Amino acid sequence: MSTTTQTQLNQEEIKPSIGSRILNTKAELLSGEIAGEIRGLLETRGVLVFPQINFTPDEQVAFTKTLGTFAPEGDDEGVTKITLDVKENPQSAEYLKGSLYWHIDGTRNEVPILASLLSCKVPSPKGTGNTGFSNTYSAYDALPDETKAEIDDLHVLHAPWASLFYYSPEPALAMLKGMQAIGEKELPLVWEHASGRKSLVLGCTCHHVIGVDHQKSAEIIHGLREWATSPEFTYSHEWEVGDLVIWDNTGTMHRAEAYDPECGRMMLRTKLEGEEPWAN
Amino acid sequence: MSVVEKSRLRSEEIKPKIGSRVVNSKDELLSGELSDKINALLEHRGVLIFPQVHFTDEEQLQFTGLLGGVAKEIRGEEVFKVSLDEKVNDKVAEYLKGSLYWHIDGTMNEIPIRASMLTAKVLSPEGGDTDFANTASSYEDLDDATKAKIADLRVVHSLWRSQLYHTPEPTMEQLEDWQSKGEAELPLVCTSKSGRKSIVLGNTAHYVKDVDPKESYRILHGLREFSTSEPYNYTHKWTVGDTVIWNNRTSLHRATPYDPASGRMMHRTILPGMEAWEN
Repeated sequence: MSTTTQTQLNQEEIKPSIGSRILNTKAELLSGEIAGEIRGLLETRGVLVFPQINFTPDEQVAFTKTLGTFAPEGDDEGVTKITLDVKENPQSAEYLKGSLYWHIDGTRNEVPILASLLSCKVPSPKGTGNTGFSNTYSAYDALPDETKAEIDDLHVLHAPWASLFYYSPEPALAMLKGMQAIGEKELPLVWEHASGRKSLVLGCTCHHVIGVDHQKSAEIIHGLREWATSPEFTYSHEWEVGDLVIWDNTGTMHRAEAYDPECGRMMLRTKLEGEEPWAN
Repeated sequence: MSVVEKSRLRSEEIKPKIGSRVVNSKDELLSGELSDKINALLEHRGVLIFPQVHFTDEEQLQFTGLLGGVAKEIRGEEVFKVSLDEKVNDKVAEYLKGSLYWHIDGTMNEIPIRASMLTAKVLSPEGGDTDFANTASSYEDLDDATKAKIADLRVVHSLWRSQLYHTPEPTMEQLEDWQSKGEAELPLVCTSKSGRKSIVLGNTAHYVKDVDPKESYRILHGLREFSTSEPYNYTHKWTVGDTVIWNNRTSLHRATPYDPASGRMMHRTILPGMEAWEN
């Protein structure tokens, strides 16, 4: 682990291919003076951890706004509560079950969100409820050239209803129709970003690779997911109260690791508006 | 619940559209005199329960033989020990996780087994019931428009699809192992030689051929939901010594979740198939 100081940015790498810890103070972060450097680091490292920075909800919103365009969720201009507790979140607790599997947010939107920021208010018991991250830029870069050539032009149908089968493999027809009504979208398997860098577009919303038979399609989707989520390209964050983590949604997959829905785990999320449409 | 005397066969219906209890003694069952009547009842009712008949393995094999012969199990044995305990079943325990979801045995074979028989040896303290659904009864109750719509549909079945139910993020090694077991194409509605129709569904049913994926999932899961709904399902809560036999071709079945370490143990025998899925 190397500790580098770039002007005022104080960070250390977590693993060679993914993750950095930012060690600046709350005041330094909220000043916005190192926002540009944080944005640059976010793209190269995939996920940034701000250990026990203890932002209030207002500070989390303010910090989010230093990094780009704040993306309101629903009618809410503030933070969104992330919990599996039905009492707190009656609408989305069911939907969030899909978050236990590797995924990218916004696969049905024209422009996926740039990044999410998650802060920990109440952690789940140790050993449960970590958040896992996979660097899909690094995973693509490390593929053999032969594999890159095979997959570079493939497209995948993404659908929230495909993820339903991960946690509810025998859904009621009404539930299936409800999820299907959310929509679906064809995306490139390999996303060539405006920067010229390429990342893999994977996750539990993948239904099938277009124009490939079912068996081969499953091999491609699950084989690349296994590759991209192997230890080299992943980081599992064990939460302490007050931690804030930001990840580049356009160059990572993420998931919540299993935890007891009734343990009270409570996270607060803000998002940054996307800046680049999925490449076609 | 009506008690029907059919010469010497003593049975009572469990629900109008599925299941009967047979209350003859072990000696009567093993005499062979009732076998034709039991077979006819099995075809009609889908599932037969022999409460606390306490067959030994030898007696279960004898009874299975009387009803239509004994087929060899996965590893050539005649009595298969159904357990999720890896010490008992090694790699097979992994496949058996798929049995927690509605399925029909033998969808990968040209000629499916005719019936399975389970005897309860050790129960789990919680869960471990066996659910059955009669897909001949559910087919009968479909409206004519639905029957017409699904009459000629064909479905690709695969073991690998069923394993994704319990392991949705497999390794390549797992996926390749599952896929090596092959795939089979079956009619969605199968007609037996008797002329009776039933729906072929379950966790191996992957997709309806030549139909948009969204519609394909709606068809398969809509019919599964209907076929496993209250009128057509029966949950057997086991007592040690119970024997249950079900007509494989027309029954979806599943185990309800239980602790793999609970020691739950069922002894299974199977009856050889007499009829291909398609004639």
